[in-house]
Amino acid sequence: MNIEKSSGWKEGFTERLTGQVPWDSWELYKISYDIIENGLIREFKGLQSLKYLPNVKPLPHQLHAAETVIDEMGGKAILADEVGLGKTIEAGLILKEYLCRGLVKKALILVPASLVNQWIAELHQKFHIPAMQYRKNYDLQFCDIVVMSMDTAKRSPHKEKIYSQQYDLVIVDEAHKLKNHKTLSYIFVQNLKKRFCLLLTATPIQNHVFEMFYLVSLLKTGHLGHYESFTKTFSATKRNVEDERHLKELVSQVMVRNRRGDTGIEWTKRHIQIFSIEFTQREKDVYNLIVNLSSVSRAFSEPLTMLTLQKEMCSSHIATQLTLEKMLRNCVNDEEVSHIQDVLQKLEQLAIHSKARKALEIIQQADNKVIIFTEYRATQQFLKAYFETKGISSVIFHGQLSKNNREWVKQLFKERAQVLIATESGAEGINLQFCHHIINYDLPWNPMKLEQRIGRVHRLGQVEDVQIYNLVIQNTVEDEILELLTEKIGIFEKVVGEVDDILTTFKQSI
Amino acid sequence: MYPQEIHGFLLRFFKENGCEIIEGNNNYMAVQLTIEMDKRIMNRPFYWRYIESVNGESAPATLTFITDPNEVAPTVKGEVVYLGSPRLSQLFSVTNEMGRFVHLYEQVVGAQRGQSICTPWLGVNYKIAYRSHQTKEMLFSLGMNLMTGAVIEEFQKTLSTLKLSADMSTNTFHLPYTISPQRALDRLEAIIENVIAADDHSWALVAEKRWQKDQLLLDYFYEGEALLPPSYEIEKKALEEQYKPRVEIEIISGGLFYLQ
Repeated sequence: MNIEKSSGWKEGFTERLTGQVPWDSWELYKISYDIIENGLIREFKGLQSLKYLPNVKPLPHQLHAAETVIDEMGGKAILADEVGLGKTIEAGLILKEYLCRGLVKKALILVPASLVNQWIAELHQKFHIPAMQYRKNYDLQFCDIVVMSMDTAKRSPHKEKIYSQQYDLVIVDEAHKLKNHKTLSYIFVQNLKKRFCLLLTATPIQNHVFEMFYLVSLLKTGHLGHYESFTKTFSATKRNVEDERHLKELVSQVMVRNRRGDTGIEWTKRHIQIFSIEFTQREKDVYNLIVNLSSVSRAFSEPLTMLTLQKEMCSSHIATQLTLEKMLRNCVNDEEVSHIQDVLQKLEQLAIHSKARKALEIIQQADNKVIIFTEYRATQQFLKAYFETKGISSVIFHGQLSKNNREWVKQLFKERAQVLIATESGAEGINLQFCHHIINYDLPWNPMKLEQRIGRVHRLGQVEDVQIYNLVIQNTVEDEILELLTEKIGIFEKVVGEVDDILTTFKQSI
Repeated sequence: MYPQEIHGFLLRFFKENGCEIIEGNNNYMAVQLTIEMDKRIMNRPFYWRYIESVNGESAPATLTFITDPNEVAPTVKGEVVYLGSPRLSQLFSVTNEMGRFVHLYEQVVGAQRGQSICTPWLGVNYKIAYRSHQTKEMLFSLGMNLMTGAVIEEFQKTLSTLKLSADMSTNTFHLPYTISPQRALDRLEAIIENVIAADDHSWALVAEKRWQKDQLLLDYFYEGEALLPPSYEIEKKALEEQYKPRVEIEIISGGLFYLQ
């Protein structure tokens, strides 16, 4: 056994025996003994830190998660609770416990830039952890608990500064951003020493089962084997039930996932409706013209561009128009140019987009606050203008807003506007429990983005049932997206576990 | 620790350090710090250097601590102090620094001249920590008779029932020690090591097993790679730090005691 002794006391004692230094007071000696006796960590298991946290009343599932991570998982885990169940609280509890137990002195917390302040505030207010926000001129040696945006941390010279420190605990929030092992973020975290490590994400798989492989490999290298063996077993062609059960079992050894139903809390329900919308005849004509563009010009041979155009056509005319106009600049041939100009002209003549009409109808019926998610900034502007003509006030939320502006827009939505029109990047980290209607105006390719969207309102503190409206235009690319989404949810459920309703209220089997 | 216990601690602490309580009740207190205490806890060395260099009038700070915010009038402004608050942690660590070494005599009451004899004891309080990916801590308070070499446990408990003072009682004869404190210290340390050796260390086996298992997984992951990437070594080191079982022995306090 490795025994470490500290010799400080002996030296001090000798100095006093020889009369060089005066002795201490009996009263302080007694108080000191009592303090140390009170603060002892008497058991290996259990959370000792709770008595230091009068401002936190953790929910049972949060306590259980923290205990499981510390007692069973040795402090390396993916915290994958569904959105809105308090992953931050769980991470805070674990960090506090390790600080109290003296197992962690230095901790690094990597989060999206927009969440830095929120993290610092929570750690201070709820956990009395003196976390600091990283600044360029800080010497990290003197910052024991530091919160940093991932985008800053992964770059030089910050990266090198971090590597030169010895962190005992690394926490990564929104860890699904580490799904791709070739990204800077992934490589950065991979090369960090992770004695204790928490990866927080509600959505550990977004598209492929490999994302889980990379996430787990980051946490506990080799836990899911190496890449070749993993590919062999879990490649799409030869999946079998036995392997899937095995994988789920392995994953559950390093992952805590609470679902809303497990929390013992009465959750409000999700009502999900899919509205299948039909294009008008003229819209159909333009849509078909766009689909056929690839046969007209080589500028449209790129499949991704074609997909984007089709998706945009399902969203708003203006979004389509902007992209088409950009494409037009790549066309040289007169014939091509005139063809596209023709399409553009037809596009401009179209009346209000069918989907926008439907959205308006839903908002008017809801007669309450509504969040609309769209993929396109152009659609955002168009919807705002359109709603204004109908006397409906709305505000716009997107990823480029500064921290202050985000707060301001959120406040405006809460107090003045009826509708918040947000893009995907706006969906992260904001909490809007005061609203319970969501329109998914455009569907993303990734079902977990939908879950993140819904999680903005369906979280602790929501008192109403949540109404979700998914809008899909018939006989377009959106049908395919819907199908793909359903399939991806299936993969997620097989590996991670069940998810709350995202697409429909009825479970579909694949 | 409940608010009342914290309140009690603050009173004891400041009284012992000569700081006057200038205002307060059972739920809050305003404390006039002494110059020494200001230097210790207010963290303003430049102020004190300046005052001393110009021989200026010093003004040590007055602090107000609120121990039970629910019971205090809103007009009272001050720091709320609770278990886990930075201020309390600071005062705790100051207390630990200031209460580590004592030299005390038992006060013998009603003794006739030359009738009572006090024997020297070395008392030492050990904190032992078992650490791997988990922790457990224990406190041992041992006392050794420096005449006979006899050792008793829970020494601090015994001491806390006695009346002790830094000054000798006049009518008492204090025996000199025959075992030097340094030697006694070595013997107590050997005893502590025996206690540790005899303890159940299944925790260490558990940690080592986990360590081995994770190391095997890591090796398997990089199997067949001719050149191991730097992340392999980093990960290997992290596993060692996470799981390697170790025992820490720290003397938190101790002293010489002359007891009847």
